[in-house]
Amino acid sequence: MSLEVATVVEDAAEYSFAMEYHGPPITRELPRAVPINVDRIPVAAVVSPLAFSDNLSLPIVQPISATDIIGKKLSMDLKLSSSSAELLTVSPTSVIAFESRNNEVSEGSYSKELGLGTEISVSPSSVGNALDEREPENCHSNDVCALSGELSSDFECCHRDGGVNGTNERGYSSISPDNSCELGGVGTSEALGSLDSFEKSRDSSGSLHKSRLSSGFKESLDFNESNRTDWASNESVLSMDYLSSRVSSRKFGDGNNESGCDVRRAPVVTFCDIESDDENTNEEFTRSEPEVVRAKKEPAVKVKKGACYRCLKGNRFTEKEVCMVCDAKYCINCVLRAMGSMPEGRKCVTCIGYPIDESKRGYLGKCSRMLKRLLNDLEVRQIMKAEKLCEVNQLPPEYIYVNGRPLYHEELIMLQSCPNPPKKLKPGNYWYDKVSGLWGKEGQKPSQIISPHLNVGGPIKADASNGNTQVYINGREITKVELRMLKLAGVQCAGNPHFWVNDDGSYQEEGQKNTKGYIWGKAGTKLLCAVLSLPVPSKSSHPCGEQVTSMISRSMPDYLEQRAIQKLLLIGYSGSGTSTIFKQAKILYKDIPFSEDEREQIKLVIQSHVYSYIGILLEGRERFEEESLNDLRQNQCSDGSALAGHVDCNGEKTLYSICPRLKAFSDWLLKIMASGTLEAIFPAASREYAPLVEELWSNPAFQATYKRRSELETLPSVASYFLERAVEILKPDYKPSDVDILYAEHVTSSNGLSCVDFSFPESAYDDDADSGDLHDSLLRFQLIRLQAKGFGENCKWLEMFEDVRIVIFCVSLSDYDQFAIDGDGNAVNKMLLSKKFFENMVTHPTFDQMDFLLILNKFDMFEQKIEQVPLSQCDWFDDFHPVVSRNRPNNANHPTLGQLGFHYIAVKFKRLYAALTGRKLYVSLVKAMEPNSVDAALKYAREILNWDEDRPNFSLSEYSIYSTEASSFSH
Amino acid sequence: MSVAELKERHMAATETVNSLRDRLRQQRLLLLDTDVAGYARSQGKTPVTFGPTDLVCCRTLQGHTGKVYSLDWTPERNRIVSASQDGRLIVWNALTSQKTHAIKLPCAWVMTCAFSPNGQSVACGGLDSMCSIFNLNTQTDNDGNMPVSRMLSGHKGYVSSCQYVPDEDTHLITASGDHTCVLWDITTGLRTSVFGGEFQSGHTSDVLSVSINGSNSRMFVSGSCDSTARLWDTRVASRAVRTFHGHEGDVNTVKFFPDGNRFGTGSDDGTCRLFDIRTGHQLQVYDQPHGDNEAPHVTSIAFSISGRLLFAGYTNGDCYVWDTLLAQVVLDLGSLQNSHDGRISCLGLSADGSALCTGSSDTNLKIWAFGGHRKVI
Repeated sequence: MSLEVATVVEDAAEYSFAMEYHGPPITRELPRAVPINVDRIPVAAVVSPLAFSDNLSLPIVQPISATDIIGKKLSMDLKLSSSSAELLTVSPTSVIAFESRNNEVSEGSYSKELGLGTEISVSPSSVGNALDEREPENCHSNDVCALSGELSSDFECCHRDGGVNGTNERGYSSISPDNSCELGGVGTSEALGSLDSFEKSRDSSGSLHKSRLSSGFKESLDFNESNRTDWASNESVLSMDYLSSRVSSRKFGDGNNESGCDVRRAPVVTFCDIESDDENTNEEFTRSEPEVVRAKKEPAVKVKKGACYRCLKGNRFTEKEVCMVCDAKYCINCVLRAMGSMPEGRKCVTCIGYPIDESKRGYLGKCSRMLKRLLNDLEVRQIMKAEKLCEVNQLPPEYIYVNGRPLYHEELIMLQSCPNPPKKLKPGNYWYDKVSGLWGKEGQKPSQIISPHLNVGGPIKADASNGNTQVYINGREITKVELRMLKLAGVQCAGNPHFWVNDDGSYQEEGQKNTKGYIWGKAGTKLLCAVLSLPVPSKSSHPCGEQVTSMISRSMPDYLEQRAIQKLLLIGYSGSGTSTIFKQAKILYKDIPFSEDEREQIKLVIQSHVYSYIGILLEGRERFEEESLNDLRQNQCSDGSALAGHVDCNGEKTLYSICPRLKAFSDWLLKIMASGTLEAIFPAASREYAPLVEELWSNPAFQATYKRRSELETLPSVASYFLERAVEILKPDYKPSDVDILYAEHVTSSNGLSCVDFSFPESAYDDDADSGDLHDSLLRFQLIRLQAKGFGENCKWLEMFEDVRIVIFCVSLSDYDQFAIDGDGNAVNKMLLSKKFFENMVTHPTFDQMDFLLILNKFDMFEQKIEQVPLSQCDWFDDFHPVVSRNRPNNANHPTLGQLGFHYIAVKFKRLYAALTGRKLYVSLVKAMEPNSVDAALKYAREILNWDEDRPNFSLSEYSIYSTEASSFSH
Repeated sequence: MSVAELKERHMAATETVNSLRDRLRQQRLLLLDTDVAGYARSQGKTPVTFGPTDLVCCRTLQGHTGKVYSLDWTPERNRIVSASQDGRLIVWNALTSQKTHAIKLPCAWVMTCAFSPNGQSVACGGLDSMCSIFNLNTQTDNDGNMPVSRMLSGHKGYVSSCQYVPDEDTHLITASGDHTCVLWDITTGLRTSVFGGEFQSGHTSDVLSVSINGSNSRMFVSGSCDSTARLWDTRVASRAVRTFHGHEGDVNTVKFFPDGNRFGTGSDDGTCRLFDIRTGHQLQVYDQPHGDNEAPHVTSIAFSISGRLLFAGYTNGDCYVWDTLLAQVVLDLGSLQNSHDGRISCLGLSADGSALCTGSSDTNLKIWAFGGHRKVI
């Protein structure tokens, strides 16, 4: 089966067919394709590195126009402020020189301030530039790469300020960041404001801030001048890849910030002068505890110590609740007003959405007595739940470094949800030994043994725990304490061995196979570890294999669920097979596709359907009987009256006659069907009538009718599948198989919608480059199937689906010769109804800018049908004139009529979609009965979503290839 | 009689019905010599005035992560249930603005919610075509989800609106996209009566809203996509007591006037209307001209306790306070300070009339209290 699919898809990839031209004869000359002379194609010449000498002037884009503008605006201030002139005389033209000079002047005092300075950093809103320091020396290590030119200039000026005034005003640096770095779109005014407020509180002279600002600008401009040549060389690289504004900001960053830059890419230019300085600060920084990386959000108001921040009353003995973000304290009367409904726990209303102060992480979810007094139990529980579980209060993964690399979001989840998670995880640098599960702070001995084999962080470094014993465990030089423990535990440590320790404590020497023993095997060792405060494996550790698999099935916290789920909306006109695809997806991706209850329900539905099929057949039987009787009579009439006597005695017996008992049953069944109460009676009465059905099935008359079932329009095509097995199905102990369920109609909730959550299982044959990625395995999808019924013009509730990622629209290919009754009571071609529905959905305002995947379903039936019924049965397809070769069958290179038809219809829909939206329609060919085919289609939908995420990275040409070659997607 | 002939006769009959309807409307218009506003003006009434502190936002209920679709107050005034696109029902304490329950729904596409008269349970309905009842006193299971205490299934379309019959915790009326309204018996979970559907006098399109008469709980009114509102008697399911024409778009919301003899409607045609259930007349149209732009749809309405004020939310983010007597806009909540960022999707007045709660697509609910020295109106 899969082979067949593969060939189909291959064909699709290899050919495309041109349509015959039917228009009027062309009068003008058709343009001819000109052969390309390869030599004449212009190519980019290789730039020789020698070209950039220092005095070479290259045309460059003037960087940071925003700064210029602001600089101009401020030039008035510049002139006016006298103190600025003073400062300017201090600073020489080159900023580097200025810095160095500044450093020289105040070398001694800076070293003292270093600790102070590192305590402060950027406001929470600027997550990108976490590393930001106010020390004069460190000015150039702030990372402005990600910022726009204007913002970076603002930053710059503030920092320069710090630099200029750092010596005389130490406190300044601790205050400015919260305000001046509020970022967003704030410009200089913000910075001014912050300085203003600072000024007031500091009681400094009013003109000082102007001077600072202007000096800041001046310097940054100077800076531009002095480093122009460097930038020129820089630009030649950068300007190719980035927009000019980005380039300018980048350049600025480069100039200032060596360290920030080399994180992103290899530096092109080196600034010897700064670098030496930078390296130090950078080093300094990473060594320091990243707990200090985040700025505290300061409360909006300053109050006297101990008072409530809102009513300004009370002293430090009154009980107060503290904001988790800004440390504001509120008394019992004010707390509800100030914190509102606490959607993220105890935070001021203005602090909602900001990450919490890391020092308060320990209090998360721990309720104070005051809240308990103020609110009832249920309310307190809700607040604490929100506080613990809301997304913004979670540990920020980028502040946790494991083996020298910040974690990704998924890695943090994995770390926290593993069976043995690290206790009291705080932002900081950690090392993690993946083999043994040893876990500790960078530069320290192990503190815990967590679950091993988690794929988090980088590879472990030899100096992770800063040991100096020359004894290695899993590539890490161990500390003295560990060595002592090993010795006491009886491990031979002579000759500086390299050990390989597994998570169960078994150890072997590197390069050797045999296990030498178990470190924690003896009871004494554990005691010893406790004495030396070294970790021992927890009892609950499981065999490693289990852990990884159980990871995925673990239930995730709510906030993760919300984020990770991708919604796919499956719609289609009734009869297009959406329910089959839905059931197929359930069977494909769920361990237990249908619960026992569901199966029982489905069994009843199937049984009652079988009765209705039988009813339809019996109805047909009556008709056939009548017809054949009529025929018989006519024959007899035409034959003459000679045989009339004989006919009378046995003429009532035809091929379609049945015995009276069955006849009675048949009449009864038909009566019930006519009254529309079949569903009410049938599954219940099935025990009673099952034997009768058995008899009926073996009846020749019934069999004869069954042979002519194609003449019964009301009998659905799937009926034969069930009728063949009617006897078996109607037994009370019948259990519907998955295939039965697939075939059965109306078993998914018939009204409204049904949805199923799934994730694509990782499979060996999945050859996508990124499918093995951790990200993908966590990606969860929700397939939502909507019944077409109820999509009227008044469909108001479709806006509830505005958060779906893609709409999968299902069309049954075999519908082209079918008719259905539309709203006005006219019989309309079902394909046209489908098309109309498609138009409605595509143009619906909710689905504006939504991707659509068209599934052309029931290809198997279509292939058979198109051989007999021409596609032009449907008005929309009247210009289908396939070129069919004579020796069509058995030739793989020639598409079958069915494939031609499919391509034709796909193009029709694509054109329609492009005309309506101007975008590309993705198309997939599906045989809903075949699991692989549905699997491929849904995976294709996943790919589309993936492209969507990387869309900016795709050039246009690549993109169009994907969309036109939609059907070539296969597995 | 052949099919063609039957069709012809059917066409003729429809024609007759339409012409009769038209005549009826003409006749009504003839009889309608005045409307409420005209009469009130002739009596020298002046519109209500609102000072800046007369209606102030005193609470913001934050906690939903999706658009708020529906809200309902308990009769004992201090609790609110809200339903949101994030697939949750949240029960709020309106006084402390804290959540008391957050119920994750099995089907996330919820459209309506209602508090039971005794405040012990909440009902909700949505695209799953079911009305689910949650008893607030049940313990949550291990995952923190609250089990559904009763599923009312039987609708063949989405449940667009539900309301408990006042003072009866066991009965509930739902409106549905299957063109029907249903009165449910919650204890058995079965339908007591179905209004509309097969019967010709029912709605001919999706029913979007129901409102039960506060003074006579046997009467209720429903608004539908067929641009009519219908009055029903729960004892007579077979036909609507009265059909109210007048709107030119889907009737999105209906609400009984506090005295129970009138009801208000809000529609896609951008107007609110006041109808009298005894005469069947339209009393007043509340229409704000919007230039040549298309009029914004009315999403939700509520009356103040005296009926003097009509609060109406519109799709463009406005929320007008109408003086029902003079048909004038006296205040726009959407333009007030600290109003919602998004459009107001649902409105509800507390049972004692002292506070108004609004739910918005900016995921928040706000409680507005009548401040100053104004008496509750």
